Amino acid sequence: MRVINTNTQVPGYEQPLIEFRGVSKTYIGGTHALSDVNLKINKGEFVFVVGSSGAGKSTFMKLIMREEKANVGEVIVNGYNLSTMKRKQVPMLRRTMGIVFQDFRLIPNMNVFENVAFAMHVVGAGSRKIRKEVSRALAKVGLGHKARSMPDELSGGEQQRVGLARALVNAPDLIIADEPTGNVDPNMSYEIVGLLDEINKRGTTILMVTHDHNLVRDFNHRVIMLDGGKIVADNAEGSAL
Amino acid sequence: MKARSIKYLTGEGIKNVWVNRLMSIASVGVLMACMVLIGIAVIIGQNVNRAMVGLEKQNVVMVYFNDYNSVMYPIDFDADDEMIDPSTITDDMYVVHNDEEGKAVAEKIEKLDNIAEVEYFTKEEDMQRFEDKKISNITDDVNFCSCGAKVTLKDLSRFDETIEGIEKVEGVYHISSSDETAEIISAIKDGLGTAGIWIIAILLIISLVIVCNTIRVTMYNRKLEISIMKAVGATDAFVRLPFVVEGILLGLISAILSEVVVYFCYRVMLETFIPSIMGATMPVSFASAALPIFGLFVAIGVVSGVIGSVIMISKYLRREGSEFKAYN
Ligand SMILES: Nc1ncnc2c1ncn2[C@@H]1O[C@H](COP(=O)(O)OP(=O)(O)OP(=O)(O)O)[C@@H](O)[C@H]1O
Ligand SMILES: [Mg+2]
Repeated sequence: MRVINTNTQVPGYEQPLIEFRGVSKTYIGGTHALSDVNLKINKGEFVFVVGSSGAGKSTFMKLIMREEKANVGEVIVNGYNLSTMKRKQVPMLRRTMGIVFQDFRLIPNMNVFENVAFAMHVVGAGSRKIRKEVSRALAKVGLGHKARSMPDELSGGEQQRVGLARALVNAPDLIIADEPTGNVDPNMSYEIVGLLDEINKRGTTILMVTHDHNLVRDFNHRVIMLDGGKIVADNAEGSAL
Repeated sequence: MKARSIKYLTGEGIKNVWVNRLMSIASVGVLMACMVLIGIAVIIGQNVNRAMVGLEKQNVVMVYFNDYNSVMYPIDFDADDEMIDPSTITDDMYVVHNDEEGKAVAEKIEKLDNIAEVEYFTKEEDMQRFEDKKISNITDDVNFCSCGAKVTLKDLSRFDETIEGIEKVEGVYHISSSDETAEIISAIKDGLGTAGIWIIAILLIISLVIVCNTIRVTMYNRKLEISIMKAVGATDAFVRLPFVVEGILLGLISAILSEVVVYFCYRVMLETFIPSIMGATMPVSFASAALPIFGLFVAIGVVSGVIGSVIMISKYLRREGSEFKAYN
């Protein structure tokens, strides 16, 4: 369900891309992964999500992707209210976001080009458009020359760049990456976050979970810190915290 | 769904069959075994049916009425027996005194259940029949025959109850029939029908299980792809289609191969036991049976392919659902 903002509109006010209103998530078994989370992320932001293990970072990301549903409160993403959304509408939501996996998730029997093209086939793109967009996405991540390589012929960093190209290829409004650098060496990490930074500069919103404090320090972006399922720090402009 | 998506997914489904070829061969093998058995059952059934139709023409009984002759010359009357003294026979000893009364009895029989046709005959006509057939060489002018009716039954399987009904009609004296043949035929037919339905049902279930299993293997092989598809925003129908295509393809391949196998099996059968069960009746030609059997195979293949894949993938999608284990 696409939510039309019915709040009294402030001139120049833009509806946030992501909004959490009093969100709590308790897993079956009773773990309180998130409790009463409120936040807004605007279009075009680059947000690091940090916190210790078990703080609820992945849960936070899963709620945005509608892989999990909140028990309490409302999650609104790109105009969709995820609490009232029907299962059938989830694919439409997912098409507005690109997901980067920590474990890359490249299909081993497809080459680099096919792996990226796969994401476009899923949304029913035509073959000419696929050829053009895949080449562009691969060029963006600096792997134009590896299009015919198989995933196992690539380094971890290169594989993650293919994963990034795949997330990018459908021109999403939002990129979600939970520890995208968790399985690559530190130099590669900088390269990948650098790429995300460039993508962000062209207008795409980036949401990235990381444990790497150096990355957070060196790329100067908004940082949301979770602890015990609560936001304990957020350096957003005008943030209550 | 867009036409090009359907084209792409159909290609993926065909690829599944190939990538998963060991499993595909195994399931085509089992599907074929089921189809060939069904096909042979059907073609034997058609032959038996055809033979039955020939036999069913004898589905006629002669019903004799209780008239003067039936008293004068009882059923166990023998030419050597001492004649009953005609003067001792009175009118009240028999029911049918003339043709009018005989026709009335015939009409009563006609009203019974499961009667196709009743044809009244006089005792003279019956005598004539005897002479025509030269069954009897009694050529003197004594007519020992009774009047009666030639009764044709509709359904041979209800032979016994129908005969009982006829016997109860007032004025019926004796029924002559080759009821043993009739009983045997209807028993065979019933048996084949019931057994056939059960065999087909069981084989259909086996086919379905086999297809389900193959699809499940493909599905788990493609778990990664499915998770990525879900993450990128594939609809359930999109995820499902390649598996449905795979299921249908397995069914179609099995159907074609089974048809060929049944053809050769039937050729052997025609040279061996079919003629002996057919007697004088011509066996069914393969050409006339080929299309319905192929239709049946395609139906079995497509139905088990579609149902199998839809069951499996829906189960999978419901369980893994919108969740695709993006992160741990
Ligand atoms: N599917 C689940 N079922 C039950 N409990 C879960 C599930 N997923 C996560 N949890 C629990 O919820 C809490 C938050 O988990 P979450 O994965 O969000 O943490 P995280 O911040 O991503 O941690 P990490 O840095 O280790 O990835 C943890 O206590 C975890 O054990
Ligand atoms: Mg996590």
